[in-house]
Amino acid sequence: MSKIVIDHLARVEGHGGITVEIEGDTVANVHFDVFEGSRLLEPLVCGKRYDEVAPVLSRICSICSVAHTLTSLKATENAFAVRVSPQTELLRELLFRGESIESHALHLFLLAVPDYLNYPSAIALSADKPAVVLLGLRLKKLGNLIQETIGGRAIHPVNAVPGGFGKAPAIEQLIELRSALMQGVADSDAAMDVMTSLPPAEFCHCDTVFAALRTPSLDSYYAGDEVMAVSDGSRAIVHANDYKSLTNECAVPHSHAKHSTFREKPFMVGSLARLTVNPRRLTGKLAVAKKRLKLQLPADNPMDNNKAQALELINDVERALAIIEQLLRAGVKDEPPVPVQPRAATGTAITEAPRGLLIHSYTYDAEGRITAADVITPTALNAASMEMHFRKTVEQSAERDDATLSRKLQMVARAYDPCISCSVHVLRRR
Amino acid sequence: MKPPLVIGLGNPLMGDEGIGWHVAECLSGDPRLPAGVEVVCGGTDLLRHAGRMEQRRRVIVVDALRDDGGEPGSVWAWDEPSGAGAAVCQPSYSQLPGLDNRQDNAHCLSAIQSIQLLRLTVRVPIKLLGISIRSANVQNDLSPELAARLPAILDRVLIELE
Repeated sequence: MSKIVIDHLARVEGHGGITVEIEGDTVANVHFDVFEGSRLLEPLVCGKRYDEVAPVLSRICSICSVAHTLTSLKATENAFAVRVSPQTELLRELLFRGESIESHALHLFLLAVPDYLNYPSAIALSADKPAVVLLGLRLKKLGNLIQETIGGRAIHPVNAVPGGFGKAPAIEQLIELRSALMQGVADSDAAMDVMTSLPPAEFCHCDTVFAALRTPSLDSYYAGDEVMAVSDGSRAIVHANDYKSLTNECAVPHSHAKHSTFREKPFMVGSLARLTVNPRRLTGKLAVAKKRLKLQLPADNPMDNNKAQALELINDVERALAIIEQLLRAGVKDEPPVPVQPRAATGTAITEAPRGLLIHSYTYDAEGRITAADVITPTALNAASMEMHFRKTVEQSAERDDATLSRKLQMVARAYDPCISCSVHVLRRR
Repeated sequence: MKPPLVIGLGNPLMGDEGIGWHVAECLSGDPRLPAGVEVVCGGTDLLRHAGRMEQRRRVIVVDALRDDGGEPGSVWAWDEPSGAGAAVCQPSYSQLPGLDNRQDNAHCLSAIQSIQLLRLTVRVPIKLLGISIRSANVQNDLSPELAARLPAILDRVLIELE
């Protein structure tokens, strides 16, 4: 039996990475180990008051701190039947767009593109193609600017609180954001030029189940309480309160993340799933870009998640601009957060983090203190689907040498944009 | 030119891995902090602070260092290999000596890689202070061993700001 081990996808020694065991031409075992701190972090919020929860759980991820904060607030507000104002909903959606722009720019230009062009890292790529790396850094900075302006600081937004926002952005700040986003339109167009120039990556094809938030406006990362799962023409709806019937989590011996399956099949969440579930988003400029990328939906190639992220990057910039225009037209009111009346209740929220469905569910006592918390992250939801695609990649590869298989497996892993251990970030000596 | 900036990296929910965050928290309330110096708790993604780093006289990044040989709490300093001043205006792709700069995270870049990339856009001398730790586990507080060293670590960071 031969074995391919990729152990440096994660930074925490002894955790993370891919192991594939091959017997002859058959793949005997595929293991993807995820170090995800979120499950271990849940006990840290037990006993905390409702207004202390989001700041703690936002630290599950440094890239997705907005998604964790806003999903946490939405779950708390659902528990206490708080209805936030339309302005709060718009500002939260804008925060989500900022995070998505930042995350997709980072992933596509500093992590995925070097793979496609056979560079070991973005640093190596920047030596030959600095314009590509600078484009990614500019878009990432734009996403950061939106988050800092609306969220109150660069990371772990403090301005988003239960019931609304501590402080509304000033008109001048929104005008500044609008200017930056106009440059962002040109940059996202340039991003599309880069993405369409990449060589094809046809490493594996197979029927895939996709799951994403079904939103009332067809285009929101925040609003909505239903998930749609799409598979081979059939569709199923799961309400947020019934999320366990979607996730069906079970522990596996080789990973810290529980594996999720829907109707006994792994499912994929993230950009590709969002566009598959909400295809009517793809009109106008996005339809043209989809054609340029040669993206067919529903897709059967997990590498297409990179194309879907590129489309979302364009859409996020346009949507952020539209929200700012709407806020400027309506005038931004300095409204206090909606008062929260704690009660003994359970609240669940599902949103779309940059890499897919994010679920927070809390049970509170009558004083508004948490008695139970459940956080399920996109990478955990994707773990079983990733293993399925790793297996198919090895089975469908004509090349059998370890180096080629290893490169393909890492690119497939990267296409999922997994968050393996980003809650930990140490330097390490050589 | 803006005043110096100190960025403390780390996740305070991950025990000793959050030492950079704890240093920034303590430093920002320390009366010995020179006037004008800005201190931020930076999370785990240094690139996120690119905009804030622009136009600075200097930037000091404090991060945890997984260093099996070092005493927990030991502080190690790295200057950019090209040195301070005009030379850092040019991108340099050499590694910071002694530090691992592998692309070993599927999701974001290490502090070392971030510093290397930031040379493309941020023309500021960056000093990296690595603090030796033994463990990075889910835990609200620093280990007693590292917490006991925190005052000495703060003294060391303040020396950099003199």
